[in-house]
Amino acid sequence: MSASRNPSEERLLAYAAGTLSPPEAVVVAAHLALRPANDAWVRRLQVVGGDFLEETTPSRMSSDALARAMARIETDAGEAKTPPPLNDMPELPEPLRRYALGPWRWIGPGIRARDVHAPRDGDCRVILLKIDPGRETPRHTHCGVELTCVLSGAYATAVERFDVGDLEEADPDTLHQPRVVSEEPCLCVVALDGEIQLDGWLGRLMQPFVRL
Amino acid sequence: MTADGSSHDAFAHDRLIEAVALRRDREAFAELFNHFAPRLKAWLIKSGATPGAAEDFAQDAMLTVWRKADLFDASKARAATWIFTIARNRRLDMLRRDARPLPTPEIDLIGEDVRRPDDILSMAQDAERVREALSRLKPDQVEVLRLAFFFDSPHSEIARRLDLPLGTVKSRIRNAMIKLRLLLEPSEEASR
Repeated sequence: MSASRNPSEERLLAYAAGTLSPPEAVVVAAHLALRPANDAWVRRLQVVGGDFLEETTPSRMSSDALARAMARIETDAGEAKTPPPLNDMPELPEPLRRYALGPWRWIGPGIRARDVHAPRDGDCRVILLKIDPGRETPRHTHCGVELTCVLSGAYATAVERFDVGDLEEADPDTLHQPRVVSEEPCLCVVALDGEIQLDGWLGRLMQPFVRL
Repeated sequence: MTADGSSHDAFAHDRLIEAVALRRDREAFAELFNHFAPRLKAWLIKSGATPGAAEDFAQDAMLTVWRKADLFDASKARAATWIFTIARNRRLDMLRRDARPLPTPEIDLIGEDVRRPDDILSMAQDAERVREALSRLKPDQVEVLRLAFFFDSPHSEIARRLDLPLGTVKSRIRNAMIKLRLLLEPSEEASR
């Protein structure tokens, strides 16, 4: 087992507790769809959450709270929301299917991206990134956290290889130059926070074109 | 059921949800409301919500319990677990500071997409095991886990509250989680 290809324990805990930022939660949900053992663990953490909820010292509700609740269920017409339609990429794991997708955009040679219309959180948003075999992204660092889950294909950084379902957490200290090592293109879902800072002369040259 | 709604009546709560599902039983719902709504409110207040917002949250979560009662399956999750998950899904949705009405990822304990039925089956029988495992953690480990479940920005908030360096909080949470994993799923660590 490699700890670094899994979400950190804190991140899984935040996902289980419902406190992870929504864009990051979308990437973690994709990871869990591909990693049943971690998914089972998150479900088990719901038992822990239920236990903590049970043990919580109750707060006093306002005096008409029960009356209000009973009135609400009498007039309740059920949930009006119909789920949004599925998007055009059946190969995506189920948690990503309900999000509309933007058009593919050219980012650089062999690199395309499209927006996933999942909830943003400030500058943090979700994109799909597709990189051709043998290609690497320009060396870059990040202002904020970058969370990546491999959906097909594989890439490798200087230190590690990431296959389908693997999740990588990169922070501002990480200098990052992933290279696709699979024979098929590598498709990833990424929660991206802040601007990507490209490194080196080529990176600086490309910076104006790269609007991830 | 004990008069104070203490935690020994977990099975009774399962039956109450089933009564709501089968007969739209108002009394059963009122009993569930009296037990869980004040706890949901307390949870939200701990996470930083105002009492008014926390009360609305509890009301909305309990309305979801009413709506979804027929999906409840006591063989897959116990009442407190199921209601916690409803609240968790709602809370993540509340964190969505994006004005667009886009869904946030939900955890579904019951639905068809549950991928490991054996595991989930054991999970329903697990409430006692979880309690047992928690009792075997050190008190300071249980404390950080509990806080981590309640706060929006767990690490910095816990560090502030307990007057501990951030790094200490992070490692304490990590150690608590690793210990909990070992206690609850000793054989699964290798397959992760």
